Amino acid sequence: MSMPIKLSIDLNVNGVDYPVTIEPGRNLVSVLRSEVGLTGTKEGCDDCECGACMVLLDGQPVNSCSYLAAQAQGRAITTVEGVMRGAEMHPLQRNLLEAGGVQCGFCTPGMIMSATALLARNPSPTEEEIRIGLSGNLCRCTGYAKIVAAVQATAAGRY
Amino acid sequence: MTPTTQPRFVRADGPDKVTGSGRYTADLTLTGMLAAKFRYADVSHARITKLDTTAALAIPGVFAVLTAADVPDVHFGPFVADRTLFARDVVRFEGEVVAAVAAITPEVAQRAADAIVVEYEALPVITDIEDALGAGSPLVHTGWSDYGAADPVVRDRNDASFSSITKGDVDAGLAEADHIVESRYVADGCHAAPIEPRAVLAQWEGDKVTIWTSTQVPFDARAGVCETLELPANRVRIIVAHLGGGFGGKCGFHYEAHVAALAKATKRPVRLLFSRREEFLAPDRRREGMVIDITTGVRNDGTITARKAWIAIDNGAYTADAGFFPQLAAMHVAGPYKIPNVHVDAHLVYTNHQPSGSVRAPTAPQTCWALESHTDEVAAAVGMDPVAFRRLNAVDTGAVGPSGQTYGEIGVQQCIEEATKLVGYGQTLPDDEAIGVAIGWWPSFAVPSGAYLKLDGDGSGQIITGAQECGTGAVMTLRQLAADELGMDPENFELVYQDTSVAPYDMGATGSQTLFNNGRAVVAAAGQVAEQLRKLAAEFLEAAPGDIVLADGHAHVAGSPSSTVSIAELAGIAAGGELLIGHGSGAPPAAPPLAGSSCVGDLGMASFVAPQFSCHAVRVRLDRDTGVVRVLEVGAAHDSGTIINELGALGQVEGGVMMGVGQALTEGTQYDDQGRQRNAGLLEYKLQTCADTPVIRTHFVQINTPDAGPRGAKGLAEAPNVATAAAISNALAKLVGKPVRRLPMTAERVWEAMQS
Amino acid sequence: MSFTIATSIEDALAALAAGARPVAGGSDLVVGARHGKAPLPDSIVAIDRLSELSTITLTDDGLRIGALATHAAMMLDATIVASYSALADASALVGSPATRNVGTLGGNVMNASPAMDTGAPLLVFGAMVELRSTSGTRSVSLPDLWVGPGSTSAAADELCIALVLAKRPARSGSAYVRLEYRRAMEIAVVGAAASVTLNDDGTAGHVAVALTAVAPTIVAVGGLDAALIGRPVDEDTLAAVARAAAEQSAPISDLRASDSYRRHCVGVMARRAVEAAGRRAGGEAIAIPVNRAYGIGASR
Repeated sequence: MSMPIKLSIDLNVNGVDYPVTIEPGRNLVSVLRSEVGLTGTKEGCDDCECGACMVLLDGQPVNSCSYLAAQAQGRAITTVEGVMRGAEMHPLQRNLLEAGGVQCGFCTPGMIMSATALLARNPSPTEEEIRIGLSGNLCRCTGYAKIVAAVQATAAGRY
Repeated sequence: MTPTTQPRFVRADGPDKVTGSGRYTADLTLTGMLAAKFRYADVSHARITKLDTTAALAIPGVFAVLTAADVPDVHFGPFVADRTLFARDVVRFEGEVVAAVAAITPEVAQRAADAIVVEYEALPVITDIEDALGAGSPLVHTGWSDYGAADPVVRDRNDASFSSITKGDVDAGLAEADHIVESRYVADGCHAAPIEPRAVLAQWEGDKVTIWTSTQVPFDARAGVCETLELPANRVRIIVAHLGGGFGGKCGFHYEAHVAALAKATKRPVRLLFSRREEFLAPDRRREGMVIDITTGVRNDGTITARKAWIAIDNGAYTADAGFFPQLAAMHVAGPYKIPNVHVDAHLVYTNHQPSGSVRAPTAPQTCWALESHTDEVAAAVGMDPVAFRRLNAVDTGAVGPSGQTYGEIGVQQCIEEATKLVGYGQTLPDDEAIGVAIGWWPSFAVPSGAYLKLDGDGSGQIITGAQECGTGAVMTLRQLAADELGMDPENFELVYQDTSVAPYDMGATGSQTLFNNGRAVVAAAGQVAEQLRKLAAEFLEAAPGDIVLADGHAHVAGSPSSTVSIAELAGIAAGGELLIGHGSGAPPAAPPLAGSSCVGDLGMASFVAPQFSCHAVRVRLDRDTGVVRVLEVGAAHDSGTIINELGALGQVEGGVMMGVGQALTEGTQYDDQGRQRNAGLLEYKLQTCADTPVIRTHFVQINTPDAGPRGAKGLAEAPNVATAAAISNALAKLVGKPVRRLPMTAERVWEAMQS
Repeated sequence: MSFTIATSIEDALAALAAGARPVAGGSDLVVGARHGKAPLPDSIVAIDRLSELSTITLTDDGLRIGALATHAAMMLDATIVASYSALADASALVGSPATRNVGTLGGNVMNASPAMDTGAPLLVFGAMVELRSTSGTRSVSLPDLWVGPGSTSAAADELCIALVLAKRPARSGSAYVRLEYRRAMEIAVVGAAASVTLNDDGTAGHVAVALTAVAPTIVAVGGLDAALIGRPVDEDTLAAVARAAAEQSAPISDLRASDSYRRHCVGVMARRAVEAAGRRAGGEAIAIPVNRAYGIGASR
């Protein structure tokens, strides 16, 4: 058996370069949680079926459980911890609270990442577009209605 | 009394949850922490002939490998003590823990778990609940008669718990009927499937252990650790970080003791993280599969004369908390109807499946689906509109229910009225659409519960409660109750919760009981502080304590708003003298009496305290070519008493409805012929997505209920999950021309029903 | 284990020649490894930065889709939407927005799953696969490439460069329809793609149908032209298509569906695909994905 070789790479997460030394086969979510130390990104299934691990890679949503961390070198990674605007919450975060879109909160970070990506590429989505845009994020608590309402409120500039 | 706080409500734990700063158990680490992995049985029924951990222990980085030999020989279980921490001699389902490993990394721990040598002698695998009840069936537990059990539990061979409800003379009642309708319905098991897989982290300090765990029931988890590791309660501390949903799946006592034992053996903190697959296979909390036979006698005028039913519930390999399910299912198959003659037999049957346990309204969605589908068949037999039939036969205020309970003020008739209105029942629809209606009920659980409340010298408050927040917002709502009692703002209170060494007992996030019972405790605790404040204010304002009003953060003399002092100032005075500390529990209401019925195996469910009622009306569309169903619109009307936190309550209904849609159409466990789950993952076990959601309209019927909780509130978290699948079934039956008698009503099953 | 990021196709080919496995989005590889299907390879070359492989270009010969074109790109590409609609339909149905964003056409084709959504559209378009290695480039048809579930005739050192789809005749339309139990996060239980070219009189000039998840590979339905050319795309034609699709499929029973249900549904899907393709060939605009016009996919 060959010795496992580790890679020393920089990962740019929320605008900060983090030097990490990892096995080439490590998935991005485990490196974010264990090496970078940002645990806002959750792990709910490990095979792209729940969306709890959603992060943005160069602005696009990616299931970080099924993405090699090594492939993220040189790309801008955004996690839920990078969504706030300084000390202020992003309007979507505030709207999720006001609308009642948060219950257990475990799907919330992934939901926020999918929703911000959706709003970035389509600032005025229809309800159907929101529903499709969030369809990769399972929520067991809310029945989704209040999450959709929060995205609608954000798109409408309310918060 | 109606709440005085505003409907606008932002969860106290909300900012933590939307910013990613909130910690869930899997997010916690401790210095020197090891990783735990389990070796599972993988087979459904076998005798262990060899168990050798030598090779596993020899792997570098492995600190401990534990088996049954390494922990006290204790059998446990809340109704039947049929369970041990690790398999002893025999394994009875695929997810049974045979051994546990602690190692330097999860990968090393997994390699070690795989390296444990286990050899088996196969035993007959029992998967069919009807066969298992047969006289010739092999037994899942051959030594069951030696197990301890709660007194009322009736056991016989593979029948782990039997209950009956008998009222009147069912044969005579059937003889009086003009029509007799017989139906059989079969429901598959399914899962709670919270999005957070469970995690447990344990650390010893001296002879005390602290366990961080994703449980819904911290005190129950503590009791399990104490029982199995033979420790007193005050040496085990259970702390829950944020809990990522439960829905019953994280009720009970699960792996806290395994991890604590590993931590003790290794003298290191140890953390267990479940994969999604483990979350599906291992815990003893999945929703039970059922076989339900119902016979109803009805007169030509639509009145029900009698109901007879037989129910078999898949208990799985161990009894967990399912001991009371037969009686609960018996109540649900009788239903919220006025029926003079009732006989129901309900069996909880051991099989070699994963054990069943409380998942959001256990037994109710499946039984309601069967009963309410059957009810539409009965209505059709007498040519009545199903809604009119329900209006005629459903219980109402002052009516006697199927088990002999006389109801105080209840809102089932209003629920039918409102739910049907919400979706425009009776409107003309396209020929691929139909509206189905179903009613459901669910008890409130009256149990002991405690809380402390204190105001510090600056006037800020803390509620220190044993209650557990699983996402519903019930704990969050406690702040409103305290604020109302003390004339303060909810934001003045911080919650200290989810720590068994800090707060008094509460049953946990189970049985929709948090607000019902812990709310009462918080009101009582706040009441004590209010008394103290009134006394202080009376001295300060030179008035009688009875004349002091607490409002808007101040105490003033009734009728003299200018004679006032701020509560903060009073708190400052108290800080130099008798401190502002309240504690509360309050006596839970007793179960209402029953008249004219008898119950074998009575575990206390034949009488519903502060019963909740609901009616769901659902519009669906059927793709007749494929059997694929889409739910378009749901009207949900609920009598859960006073609604204290409307935003939270709406969230419970919407979430419960969507869980019901999933259970109706896509969520069902499939087994292979060896009793192993075939779809233990979220691709093949299909939760509803955001794209599938119907429009959900909710109406709360708010009436004064006897024996309700604080402010007249009843429970709510489970009730919305009861009637949705049933209503979908009734809509579907109109389109298919007959009921689809298997749950979930998958596209293929709908298509099969259309073929025959 | 080694990991390199290729910055040129030559880099990538050299790495493959040295035994590396290519990874684009990586989801099949990473998920597969975790689920014990196949361990992660000892040597990986990431090809996701080869931007020249993600272009979609219309040439005189037809449409050339780079192997790294994502589902998200294909479902929005104007040429694919207008002229190769079935591929847009299929791309829009894959998984979720995130999986569509990461998953690539080349990854799909080389993964050779009989349940891949993009496979049936490619087959009805007669797509050719361009494979390249350090020893040269060759062009392979899909039936020659796909030899079984998860198995291709490509050599280990061959990189999928592009899919080349023949130019579309006038009055052509196509569609991909699949059975789905929920409106997102699905995997094909059965699916069908159709391409229809109409004669000037509105009758069928050419009909091709391919089926998803009812055989060890994506399969074409044979003999349709002989049966249907010159006939209007009417109820009889659609019934004949459904019959042929059901008869020529060899579905299995598994936890997603029984063989008999699959056989029934593949007929339904084939009929719907041809119907939608015929309408599109006639100039009707049906939004992508066409599934939304049917059954569970329909909006409220």
